[in-house]
Amino acid sequence: MVSKQLSLSTAPAPVRRLPQETSFLKYLCLAPAVIYDSVFFLLPLIFLVWIGFWSVENYRAVPGFSLANYLDIFSQFFERSRYAFAIAQSLWVAFSTTALGIFLCYPFAMALVFLVPERLQRLLLVLSITPFWTSYILRLYAWQTILNNNGLLNRLLMQLNWTKAPLQIMFTQWGTRLGLLHYLAPIIILILYLVLRNTDRTLLGAARNLGATQWQTFWRVILPLSKSGIVYSAIFGLIITLGDVLSGTILGGGTGQSILGKFPLFSSMILNEYSASTNLPRTSALATLLIGIMIVILAAGFKLARSER
Amino acid sequence: MTKEALALLQEASAETAHDLQICGVSKQYGTVPVLDTIDLQVKAGEFIAIMGPSGCGKTTLLRILAGLESMTAGEIWFQGKDITHLPVHQRHTPMVWQSFALFPHLNVEQNIAFGLTLRAHRKPEVQQKVREVVAMLHLDPLLKRRISQLSGGQKQRVAIARALITEPKVLLLDEPMSALDPHLRVRMQGELKRLQQSLGISFIYVTHNQNEAFSMADRVVVMNQGRIEQVGTPADIYSRPATHFIAEFVGNNNLFDGEVIALDQNRVTVHCPQGTLRSNWHDRCPQLGDRVTIVVPADRVSLDSPDHPNENKITATLRGLEFMGSQMIYFLETDTGYEVRVIRQETLDHSSAISINSRLQLGWRTQDTVLLGERIESGHNHGQ
Amino acid sequence: MGAQRKSGLDLGLAISGWIYLLLGFIFLMLPIVTLIAFSFEEARFPTLPWTGWTLRWYQDLLTDGRLLQALGRSLIVSPMAAAAATAIGFLAAYALNRFDFRGKNLLSALFIVPILVPPLILGVAFLGLLSRLNLQGQLLSVFLTHIVILMPTAIALVGLRLAQMPKDLEEAAWNLGANEWQALHRVILPWAMPGIAGAWLLAFTFSFDEFIIAWFVSGFEPTLPVSIYTFLGANLNPSLNAIGTIVFSISVLLLIGVELLLLPLVLKPASTP
Repeated sequence: MVSKQLSLSTAPAPVRRLPQETSFLKYLCLAPAVIYDSVFFLLPLIFLVWIGFWSVENYRAVPGFSLANYLDIFSQFFERSRYAFAIAQSLWVAFSTTALGIFLCYPFAMALVFLVPERLQRLLLVLSITPFWTSYILRLYAWQTILNNNGLLNRLLMQLNWTKAPLQIMFTQWGTRLGLLHYLAPIIILILYLVLRNTDRTLLGAARNLGATQWQTFWRVILPLSKSGIVYSAIFGLIITLGDVLSGTILGGGTGQSILGKFPLFSSMILNEYSASTNLPRTSALATLLIGIMIVILAAGFKLARSER
Repeated sequence: MTKEALALLQEASAETAHDLQICGVSKQYGTVPVLDTIDLQVKAGEFIAIMGPSGCGKTTLLRILAGLESMTAGEIWFQGKDITHLPVHQRHTPMVWQSFALFPHLNVEQNIAFGLTLRAHRKPEVQQKVREVVAMLHLDPLLKRRISQLSGGQKQRVAIARALITEPKVLLLDEPMSALDPHLRVRMQGELKRLQQSLGISFIYVTHNQNEAFSMADRVVVMNQGRIEQVGTPADIYSRPATHFIAEFVGNNNLFDGEVIALDQNRVTVHCPQGTLRSNWHDRCPQLGDRVTIVVPADRVSLDSPDHPNENKITATLRGLEFMGSQMIYFLETDTGYEVRVIRQETLDHSSAISINSRLQLGWRTQDTVLLGERIESGHNHGQ
Repeated sequence: MGAQRKSGLDLGLAISGWIYLLLGFIFLMLPIVTLIAFSFEEARFPTLPWTGWTLRWYQDLLTDGRLLQALGRSLIVSPMAAAAATAIGFLAAYALNRFDFRGKNLLSALFIVPILVPPLILGVAFLGLLSRLNLQGQLLSVFLTHIVILMPTAIALVGLRLAQMPKDLEEAAWNLGANEWQALHRVILPWAMPGIAGAWLLAFTFSFDEFIIAWFVSGFEPTLPVSIYTFLGANLNPSLNAIGTIVFSISVLLLIGVELLLLPLVLKPASTP
């Protein structure tokens, strides 16, 4: 047996890789996901933007490149189809609902983390998330029966003599908000619960020790530490509410009344336009517009998050 | 010895059945050296312990042997074949892991049989092999148990059984005792040694525990900071430490630094701050004026010697005691503020209880000392 | 005196906290309770006071049949889409867990993107592509498109479980002679099972309840949510309460499964098997 001559250098050594680090298995395992996403996710989205530039002749979509759809949309922006108002309505409802959702869910999550004994926490958390596991559309139907003019809520209120005439919640954006809140609440509660649960208890003890009141401990220790949870909840809430169709249609009645006026949500509008006209190029253009709006919001959100650091 | 000379010698003496040859293995993370030119030969049927403080690279070396970690230079030869570039699963170097790494979804029997079921096999043959290994490790009543139901000692034996069932020629062990209770460790040491001898295969055992290494191994490899400090039998390492690191790391030694002022046939006289001391030299004759270190084991130093004069004497004050069961450690301080340790076997009727702060005369024989060259790196200083 | 005042404040805080929790739970549970209760109620327009018990709405489901048909379709397509997404997701999660390579973080982020895009936009996009391929308007279309939105959850959950796996488990398998495939399906896969099962359940739920994409692509083979939507538009039919109760029962079963399998993964960071 002969051992070979070796030369050792003291410079940064060349990398010798193990067989298992350069395995072919890596590509085999990643391929299905990458290929599927490329074909069924990236491709449709790219296609979507392109279709927005097609035109329609004789009720059939014709490939090409024309700005006809966009021109048409913007010509109707403030009149006729009133896209601008629908967008404004969507933005208004989205922001107000998200803010409201975080504001209402935060105390709930805090109560779960700090008030409920440890053994019960998991059970109550699961109960809070339960609605997420039931059908969204059916929950909205149930809310319909509750919020109707002669539904549960109004019957109860009138029997208690708290109000004379029935409260009009359906067909307003308050109805929409209720539905959206019911959809968002379990998730926001979960996010905030996880973030709050990880708050370092010793920091709280230290704050109290230094003389902070309950309110000060909350405002100056707990709240800042939970900022990431709030940011995630906000991003999540905004994206969901901007894209949601069902609450606005089922509870908001399609063109729900709000402070801004009686306008539909932009998302519902896209859905209804398509079912009315099946004009795919037009719908695609509208959808692309929505994508643009969302990107702007996300970018603004990231800028805001980064500037606060 | 150079690589070429080594190769020639090996070619000449073909009987030297070296199972495992580690040649010039080095590993760098970027520019940080983790292992530096490790050369080691393991004979067939030898129990080798690789010992050192944490971070010395011993586990890295073991993982490189198994093929789980890459090296930046070097080769590994196993039974005459170059396995340097073989992937893990083809090396046939099963390991007993520190955490045992038993498969939680399989019961004991399935864990043990795992290695055999990977290739084409016949069930009765596998069952037979499992029975043999299980008998060898006294696991008979545990066959159908889940892993989570086992104690630490039982898990260790299952891990060993699982590794041995494929009849390897070398077994790698990565600190397998660290997860066991101390009283169990001592028992397992004996069992492990007996197992190795009855199987006749090589064991490469990595540990930071001196007792384990010394009690079980045929040869001990002491590592420090990525290098091999010394290779030898436990007795060699214990009584003839080759470097300062080993003298401080192994056993309980007192180190006296000083300058050579006189030379003799095989003895030197050294002037140290604590006094003028003598030592034997073995490998290399020191020169006058050389800076050297005299190593005196703590159990070779005797307290107060009125009738038995020792060649080496120093005076020190008793500062503390530590009771160690059958032994007592005495902590003394010389006039120069240097700590000396003395270990003495205590018999029950030892009526002479020495009081703290009493000045004592310490002595030892020159033949009990070892001489080391100049201290190269200041690992830690006892202070002069 | 100060201590007493403080404990009074704490008690007040505690009480209001529990009241808030109670109100919150009432809000969360109200529609579900209403659904179940009124599925047995006599009156056509469910409201107070209670009129009587009946099973006729469940019978209506059977006689009409459309909702039950849609339920059947959902029960076929959702488990299958969930299974496909989980399988693809497991392989991807394994590769991400085991290998380190340039652009790994970017790839992980890209895998998450499909769940961030609003289903409304995806629905239009899918319809565009599928109609060119003549694959729209069938149950198959729902199957193909749902996989896209189910994959991120599968990758994340299986990845979570794999992250808890001790590294030496796979190394031990190799060390004992297993090649990569053998280690993958004999050691890694069994370990990942709780994560895979949990991911499947979660994906099933998402797909089962998904409305918008299904509305765009399912055409003449509507899934349950799409079918319900048409019912809602047409008439206020109390048999919707009945189908709602059935769906809720299915959801509860799934939820129990998820609670047993998934919550331990999320609440406890690194644990034993």
